[in-house]
Amino acid sequence: MANIAAQRIKREFKEVIRSEEVAKCAIKLDLVDNNYTELRGEIAGPPDTAYEGGNFVLEIKVPETYPFNPPKVRFITKIWHPNISSVTGAICLDILKDQWAAAMTLRTVLLSLQALLSAAEPDDPQDAVVARQYKENVEMFRLTARHWTNAYAGGPNANPECDEKIKRLVDMGIEEHQARVALSSYNWDLERATEQLFS
Amino acid sequence: MAASQENESDMDFSDNDCYDYNNYYNDDDSDVEHVDPMKVDPEYFEYRCLSEEEVERLLNESVESLSNCLRISPTLAKVLLHGHHWNSNEVIRKYKDNPSQTIIWAKINPPSPQSIMTSNYYTCPVCVTPQHVEKFSHLPCGHKFCKDCWITHFEVQINQGISTSISCMAKDCVVLVPESFVLMHLQHKTNIREKYQHFVFQDYVKSHPELRFCPGPNCPIIVHSREIKAKKSICEQCKTAFCFRCGCDYHAPTDCQVIKKWLIKCADDSETANYISAHTKDCPKCHICIEKNGGCNHMQCYNCKHDFCWMCLGDWKSHGSEYYECSRYRENPNIAHESVHAQAREALTKYLHYYERWENHSKSLKLEEQTLEKLRDRINEKVMSGLGTWIDWQYLFASANLLAKCRYTLQYTYPFAYYMDAGPRKELFEYQQAQLEAEIENLSWKIERAETTDRGDLENQMDIAEKRRTTLLKDFLDV
Ligand SMILES: [Zn+2]
Ligand SMILES: [Zn+2]
Ligand SMILES: [Zn+2]
Ligand SMILES: [Zn+2]
Repeated sequence: MANIAAQRIKREFKEVIRSEEVAKCAIKLDLVDNNYTELRGEIAGPPDTAYEGGNFVLEIKVPETYPFNPPKVRFITKIWHPNISSVTGAICLDILKDQWAAAMTLRTVLLSLQALLSAAEPDDPQDAVVARQYKENVEMFRLTARHWTNAYAGGPNANPECDEKIKRLVDMGIEEHQARVALSSYNWDLERATEQLFS
Repeated sequence: MAASQENESDMDFSDNDCYDYNNYYNDDDSDVEHVDPMKVDPEYFEYRCLSEEEVERLLNESVESLSNCLRISPTLAKVLLHGHHWNSNEVIRKYKDNPSQTIIWAKINPPSPQSIMTSNYYTCPVCVTPQHVEKFSHLPCGHKFCKDCWITHFEVQINQGISTSISCMAKDCVVLVPESFVLMHLQHKTNIREKYQHFVFQDYVKSHPELRFCPGPNCPIIVHSREIKAKKSICEQCKTAFCFRCGCDYHAPTDCQVIKKWLIKCADDSETANYISAHTKDCPKCHICIEKNGGCNHMQCYNCKHDFCWMCLGDWKSHGSEYYECSRYRENPNIAHESVHAQAREALTKYLHYYERWENHSKSLKLEEQTLEKLRDRINEKVMSGLGTWIDWQYLFASANLLAKCRYTLQYTYPFAYYMDAGPRKELFEYQQAQLEAEIENLSWKIERAETTDRGDLENQMDIAEKRRTTLLKDFLDV
């Protein structure tokens, strides 16, 4: 079976490299080892979303039973999204679980993840905190996602207000990422975030 | 594929020879003097304990009769039945209404037919190996994959416990793989094929509302009943008693959803409830420490001979007769106006009241089992020394069994009461519950002192307790 996996990945690797999405810089695939068991994917944040302008790096592990079982994929770049864990980068997406089909490819996976960035499914959350914010205050969610894209994925849209609040917490001795998580979780309410961090 | 051909042929149906009137139990409704057994015994339940082979035969009969009736292949009939919870009539109705759509809904045929490719060589999309077209096979959807890939696909799925829900390997294709297609590919793979057949059978039984696996450990028995109700079934082989509908411990008068909710709550709150599990309490009169070693909740202090109730520590005199207040929880009528904290405290107190009684009766049941063991030894001694025969003492065992049955029901009245809305119905319930409780404790008290209790007196007490139990079930068992 491992033989089929390597054979398939080799073929898919070429397929992605040649695809038109690569030409448009929308998706990218790199080998991490020479056994075709681990790859590094990259997707561009879709236009007209909070992720626009960001580049998101993915860890792709190919199981021995590939393509009969799906690849194991997670975000390495930190991201604020209801279906992606802001802590571990774990993804909740049906085709990476029971809706996987052996005829699907890594290209399908990358494009589906990109589609997931355009259309979140808050009713099937991976990150409960993000999903709640998405449902209760979608504007706050967009602002936060855009800020994370700027902070971690090289997105162009900086938000001075957010940066200022983070700096206030960093000055109090809080680690930057921890400060960002607390503020993001409390809708950028500095007082409540502080309370939580020091409780 | 056989399945795809059948639905193309036009078929005539005659209405009268189709429907599944086959009555497993031959209940004879024409008998005018027939008394509804439910009126006599609210727990009356007709069921049969079947072996795997008997169930297979039963399923095959349904498949065969449907396949004859609709003139479709047994493969197709089986998938249709499995997809409709084995409801033949529903399948027949849908199929007659729209055969091709029914087959699409059942995920046997694809919503739109696929073009069949004609070249001799073809590259398998899964293993990306070009092979001769003979090496390929496909489902009605037309998605071709090489046979080796199909086999691997089945192996991977089956090893994950998946059987009837294995689908085509193509992207976005929902077509399910029928049993015959899997078996054909696994011809030479005995182990995995047997594993598959085992899982398929499990799926069939689980999707069949009239069948239920015995929950007893490693028990192969399957209970069959036409009546899909929360009734008590007892496995003939391993003697496990369980609710037919949910497969959990029998729980009358509480229904399946409520008992589930209750058990989850108990598991979640086990920390809070733990402190009550103490085995000792102080005598409310002389304050000497008393350990409970029997099931009976009517306690007598060995020191001052004071009679009291283990549950509420109240005087037993107030429990013996009429309406006693021990089982009832008194809600604070002004609670809605209290603070959030007070309400939370009240909610906890209420839960603990019911939980304590639930837990206590469960413990009593276990302790009474020990009493029964001791009783057995004592009777053995009596018989050995010529004081009567085993048959003479048989009534004592009958009474102990009845006590267990009554206490079991009593235990399950507490979750019922906990979730009941306040009002006259709850008052009636608690009245009956209290009466049942009082009679059970009387019975327990008498059995613990069996050798000095008059046989007639004991049998009379058995009768009263069972009547109270049946009355409560008749009025409140709603299945
Ligand atoms: Zn297909
Ligand atoms: Zn193949
Ligand atoms: Zn059994
Ligand atoms: Zn049940």
